[in-house]
Amino acid sequence: MPEKEPSICEEKNYNKLFRDYYEPVTKYIYYKCGNLQQAEDIVQNVFIKLWKLCATVTFSKAKSYIYTASNHSFFNEVAHKKVVLKHQKTIIENTTHESPDFLMEIDEFRDKLKNAINTLNPKEREVFLLSRIENKTYKEIAEITELTVKAIERRMGKALKELKAILGKELKL
Amino acid sequence: MSNKQDGKRMMKNYDTDDTFLGRWIAGELSEEERIAFEKTDVFKQFDFINKESQLLQGPNIDTEAALKKVKQQLETKPRKPKVVKLWQYMAVASIVIISAGFFINSSKTYTTAIGETQTITLIDGSVINLNANSSLSHKRYFLSKDKQVTLTGEAYFTITKGDGFRVETSKGTVEVLGTQFNIRDREDFNLKCYEGKVRLNSSKTQKSNYVLTQGMQVSISSSKTSETIFKEETPSWKQGHSTFVDQPISNVLEELIHYYPIEFETNSINTNRLFTGSFIHSNLDTALKATLIPMGIEYKKSDTGNVIVLSE
Repeated sequence: MPEKEPSICEEKNYNKLFRDYYEPVTKYIYYKCGNLQQAEDIVQNVFIKLWKLCATVTFSKAKSYIYTASNHSFFNEVAHKKVVLKHQKTIIENTTHESPDFLMEIDEFRDKLKNAINTLNPKEREVFLLSRIENKTYKEIAEITELTVKAIERRMGKALKELKAILGKELKL
Repeated sequence: MSNKQDGKRMMKNYDTDDTFLGRWIAGELSEEERIAFEKTDVFKQFDFINKESQLLQGPNIDTEAALKKVKQQLETKPRKPKVVKLWQYMAVASIVIISAGFFINSSKTYTTAIGETQTITLIDGSVINLNANSSLSHKRYFLSKDKQVTLTGEAYFTITKGDGFRVETSKGTVEVLGTQFNIRDREDFNLKCYEGKVRLNSSKTQKSNYVLTQGMQVSISSSKTSETIFKEETPSWKQGHSTFVDQPISNVLEELIHYYPIEFETNSINTNRLFTGSFIHSNLDTALKATLIPMGIEYKKSDTGNVIVLSE
C-alpha cells in the first residue's frame, strides 16, 4: 500500500498548495489574457472550487487540477490583451559598449522588444514567456499547456523567428 | 556567409528545422549544430533577443493577500450547496411555469393610429380589417372553441364559418353565426351584417339580443336603438371614404378625427343639423370641403394647423 496522501481538506495542506501554485498559475493565465485582475479572479475561483472539492481531488493531482481548471475557465472568458512587462534593473554585464549612446539605445530597444512580444500569437507568447521569464522547462510547459514537448519547441522557435524579424533591423551587432 | 556553412553538409539549421531554435534555447543542440549556428550572422541577433528577454519580469503577485481574499469568500459562502441548489431549481422551475402560463394566457393587441388601417389574419383563418383609430385584442392562443376578441373602434370581420367566435364591445357581445360583418363602436354603436348571420347580446338595449342576417344593421346611440336595412355591399371605409345618410354633423366631425389628426372648435355652430354625403380618407382639405361647404359652415385652421375653428 502506498503511503496515504495528505488531505486537501486540511487547511495547512490547502495553504501549501495555494502558496506553491497561486503565483505561477496566475502569471500563466496573465500571459494568456494580459489582464491581471481577470487572471487573479480566475485562479482565486479555481482555488475556491478546489476547497469545495477537497475530498475528491488528491494532493498529487492538485497541481494539474489547478492548471487545467484555470485554463478551461480562461477559455470561457474574453479577448487577449497586451501583457505589461518590466525590465529588471540589472544591465547585462558582458556587453562591452556601455556608452551613454548605447544605454539610450538599449532603453529604446527594450521598449520595442516588449511591444514585439505583444504582437506574437498568444500561443507563442505564452510559451515564450513561460520559458524566458518563468524559467520553466519545456517539459513543465508541455504539462501546463497539455501539449507535447515537440510542439513547445516549435512554438518557441516560431516566437524567436518572429521577434528577430521584427527587431533584427534594430540590431547592428 | 555561404563559406561559413560549407563543409557542414546538409546540416540542419534554424531555417530548415522548426524545432532548431527551441532546442538551442534549451541547450539541446548537438555540439556540431551549436558551433555552426554560433558562426552565422543572425546568431548574434537571436542571442541578444534571448538575453534581453530573460531580463524581463512578469507582474508582481501578492499571494498572501489573495489567500486571505479566498478564505474570506469561503467563509461567506457556507458549505450547504445541496439545499440551496434545490431551492434554486424550484425557484427557476416555478418562474418558467408561471411565465409560460402568462405567455399562453397573454393577449395580443393591434392598434391603428388616426388615418391608418390594418388587416389582421387570425390563426383560424379569419380576417379582420381594423379601421382607423381602433384597437383589437385577443388571447395569444385560442383555446378550444372560445374565440373571443375585444374591439374598440371599428372593424370589418370575415370569419371562418361554424365556430364560436365572439367580439366584446362596449355595448355588448357580438356572436358570430355566419361570416361577414362590420362593428363600429365609437360614440355611437353600429353593427352591420354583410353575409351570414350574427347575434348581438347587449344589456344596453330594449331587446336582450338581436339576430342580424345579410343587409341588416343595429345602431345604438345614447338616445335610441334602431334596427334598419342597408344596401351597400362593403363598408365605405374599406374603400377609403366615409358615407353618411341623415346623420348629425357631430357624427361627421367625430368620424373625421379618426382619419385626420385634427380637433374641431364647434362652439359657434349647431352640431345637430343632419348631413348626407361622404368624405375621403386620403386628403384633409378635400374632406373638409366635402363635408362643411354643403352645410354652409366656414372653417379656419389654427396656427398650429391641428385645430379647425368652425363658424356659420
